Amino acid sequence: MSAIAAIAVLQPLGCYTGLDGRASGEGPGGGSSADGGSSTAGGEDGGDDGVGADFEPAPVRLRLLLARQYRHSVRDLLGAAAQAAATPPVDAAINGFDSVAAAQLALTDAKVEAYEASARAVADAADATLLAAHHSCVPSGPADDACMREFISGFGRLAFRRDVSPDELDDYAAVATAAASDFDDFEYGKRTVVATMLQSPNFLYMVEIGEPGDTPGIRRLTGLELATRLSFFLRDTTPDAALLDLAEAGGLDDAAGVREAATAMLESTEARESLADFASEVYRLRELATVPKDPTVYPSFTPALAASMAKETLAVLGDIVWERDGDVRELFDADFTYVDAQLAAHYGLPDPAQYGESFTRVTLPAEQLRGGLLGHAGMLSLLGHVTSTSPTYRGKFVRQQLLCQAIPAPPNNVDTQLPQGEQWQTMRERLEAHMSEPSCAGCHKMMDPIGLGLENYDGVGLFRTTENGATIDANADLDGVAFAGARTLGTAIREHTDSAPCLMRNLFRHATGHIEVDGEQGELDEIAAAFADDGYRMKTLMVELVASPAFRMVGDAT
Amino acid sequence: MIIKSPRSRFALSRRTMLRGVAGGATVALALPLLDAMLDDHGEALAAGGALPRRLLTWFWGNGVALNDPNDGNSGLRWTPASQGPAYELTPQLQPFANVRDYVSILSGFSVGAAVPGRRGHHDGCAMFAGHPFIELPAGNANYASKFGGPTIDQVAAASIGSQTYLPSLQLAVSKRIIGSEGPTLQYLSHKGPDEPLPQIFDPREAWTKLFGSFTVPDDPSKPHRIASLDTVKADVERLKQRVGAADRMRLDAHLASVEQIRSQIDALAPLCEIPPMTQQNNDDIEGQEQLQAVNAAMSDLVVMAFQCDVTRVVSVQFTGSVGYTVFNTVGATMGHHDLTHDAGQNDMVDAATIFTMQQLAYLLEQLHGASEGAGNILDNSVLFASSDASSGLTHSTSDMPIVLAGGGGGTLVHPGIHYRSPSGENTSDILLAMLQCVVPEATEVGSGNGHSTTPLAALLA
Repeated sequence: MSAIAAIAVLQPLGCYTGLDGRASGEGPGGGSSADGGSSTAGGEDGGDDGVGADFEPAPVRLRLLLARQYRHSVRDLLGAAAQAAATPPVDAAINGFDSVAAAQLALTDAKVEAYEASARAVADAADATLLAAHHSCVPSGPADDACMREFISGFGRLAFRRDVSPDELDDYAAVATAAASDFDDFEYGKRTVVATMLQSPNFLYMVEIGEPGDTPGIRRLTGLELATRLSFFLRDTTPDAALLDLAEAGGLDDAAGVREAATAMLESTEARESLADFASEVYRLRELATVPKDPTVYPSFTPALAASMAKETLAVLGDIVWERDGDVRELFDADFTYVDAQLAAHYGLPDPAQYGESFTRVTLPAEQLRGGLLGHAGMLSLLGHVTSTSPTYRGKFVRQQLLCQAIPAPPNNVDTQLPQGEQWQTMRERLEAHMSEPSCAGCHKMMDPIGLGLENYDGVGLFRTTENGATIDANADLDGVAFAGARTLGTAIREHTDSAPCLMRNLFRHATGHIEVDGEQGELDEIAAAFADDGYRMKTLMVELVASPAFRMVGDAT
Repeated sequence: MIIKSPRSRFALSRRTMLRGVAGGATVALALPLLDAMLDDHGEALAAGGALPRRLLTWFWGNGVALNDPNDGNSGLRWTPASQGPAYELTPQLQPFANVRDYVSILSGFSVGAAVPGRRGHHDGCAMFAGHPFIELPAGNANYASKFGGPTIDQVAAASIGSQTYLPSLQLAVSKRIIGSEGPTLQYLSHKGPDEPLPQIFDPREAWTKLFGSFTVPDDPSKPHRIASLDTVKADVERLKQRVGAADRMRLDAHLASVEQIRSQIDALAPLCEIPPMTQQNNDDIEGQEQLQAVNAAMSDLVVMAFQCDVTRVVSVQFTGSVGYTVFNTVGATMGHHDLTHDAGQNDMVDAATIFTMQQLAYLLEQLHGASEGAGNILDNSVLFASSDASSGLTHSTSDMPIVLAGGGGGTLVHPGIHYRSPSGENTSDILLAMLQCVVPEATEVGSGNGHSTTPLAALLA
């Protein structure tokens, strides 16, 4: 213990760093900018770009398509059978976001090999009718170069999200005509074009070069580049021909045009799927498939139940955003949820079998104090240990993921052993004894009390009122707002000045593939203000985000 | 994953036999290719040239239980009390009993590339490269870091990888690794900061990578596949002209990988019988990992890969840094990282350490059991096994638990020794000695405080 005591001297007793991750003297919540108080954004310098004087967007980077974006693009370009044959490499994450890693990491041997194999399988399985739609000529023979060039130009425009250049046309025609001649089959030549284009960097990366804007160092994305960025963000797939046409006609050249296009795109099924994938990432639902639980402590926790838990959260989000276009902060404290038979039993609802395998909207029993995201069994399972709850993990998630507040790393020499004995029956008693260690207390006071308010839900989210025979006290507070249980915590989060801007930030990080930089702050404040002004509707957030200069413009490449 | 049809696999097998390798039974273990190619003394290739040498790295997360739970300062659960070749096998080292002549224990070393207190686990992982890690600006998003330079296996692969079908191979056993703190913790092998090499978790996929991906020479689509890759290269070159310096580096890596895959498609299958595909998967059974079975299957594949000379560089991530592997077979009910932070669980950490060393010992025993010329494959291999901290509780990067195994082709001390550094020497000195087993001309490893030009003399024969 002496080593721990020595470290304590070096650790600050306070912990809080504000919304911006800048160590500040402001108290919790003080770093908020949701009131739109920033004075720098909004077209004050008078240029056509309408950006604030201190707008300095992050340098642009090539961004690899995510695996799902690759699959969906294959589906849209080549059909369902081709999608089924696609085997892109799995994504990696940096700073918690796949798209951030996609903008930083290089391809490796294994990934290039995977793309090669996938491209060939996809080309083999491609829908012949879809391929034929890209040329009106009838090939005079397998080596009909002119007809092959028509196909390359037609398919290439969709695959590369721009016109194929003359050099590219020559290269692809040479490969395709040689293959068609060898196999005495024009169709084989076309499929060779497909297999090659799907390996090309022009397909695999979102290529964003931009063009100079009014301000040195800032580049406007071209219409086609913006169409690509929009489509992959809002629909997780390649832009269709109509969107490319619109972009080339100048339809995305100003914020109003972008708003209109985005609003239309949000009406598609793909937009719903795309938002669900974002939520699965930022709320970690995709990790439910591998979260380990001790079957002797939690016998009801099965892979099937875990899968239902993920669906519950997505169903609630879908209800708010797509069915009602409501205040998305309801996600934090909704008095309803969606259950199937398994979850109904998990939540102790009467006659759970009636729900079957489909998901039904229900109101939860008030006595469980349940409601909103933090009452969902999936979150409560994810944020726990193998055999117990973790108030610390739960609190850390609220701070870091829902409020975008930085929690410094723990000191190196950390003993998480909790006291055992009859005098410490509940997690609260054990943690409070543990928190007497001053080197830990500074930060743990930011996290643990939040989680202690959720102690009525065990390590897989089952409701309980006692632990080891002692009554659980779930009274807690979030930055001075008292709560007990998931629903009132959710309301405290909903009303917290940091929660809506945090959702905006996480969406921006995902949408652009980078963690926001200081020079983007003014424009982000504008987005947050527009989000608030329109009643915190998710669709509005998405539309305002893509209409923002912070989405439509990039910094010079470095 | 690509699984060749049985038909194409058998065709490949038949063809390789026709090319002069004794066949016999249609289902057989991999035939040691080199036996057919050795000179009369079994010490070199008949066609000239030395026997191939292999380099392996093997990682487990969260350190060891350094101390005897009943004696807080004993240190004798891992570290032997005596030095030299007669060192005693402590409880955590007991699994190496059958191969102890090939095992050296190195204690008292410090990770030169670490900056004490900078970030636990990340600092320890940096040992495998000798380059200080790169911290990524995160704002209030999840902490993340990248490796500062290539890991030692990739330094070796850059020199000797072109001599084999695959430059290197990355395997993993436990799936309970974390992906939320960036590439440093997620991956064991890195070609550079932006080039982490993802590992293969499923033994069947590893088999396919090693033995199921050869292109038959008369495959009629082969010239078109190669032409496709050449077109891709032209596209990458054109794109390189339009992007910034950072992206140009990424595209250079892309180009190098396209070139590598092109050469693999063009390569002949190795001169050995293709072993039957493993049936072992890496799925959980009732929520629990099959650590022992997966490790055995992966280890067997490594031996076969060496016997067929498909690759000479392998990394194995047994468990992850900050990994949450549940060692259920020894009775653990907590994720490993949590376990190591709970001082009340030291007995369980100890049991998990012993289990982990048993799995490493299995690999060493298989390498030792595979004869090659006058000796065995372990004679011609060098393996560096360690963790990301001395113990998970302290995150200390001094007194790292290090196993250095193999004969290194005669360059390493035999029998193995326990050497305790009197001065907290740089772990990169060990890496350099190891690297010189396969790249004798190597003169340095790492950078910054992790830089070394002094191979650990105590290890050399």
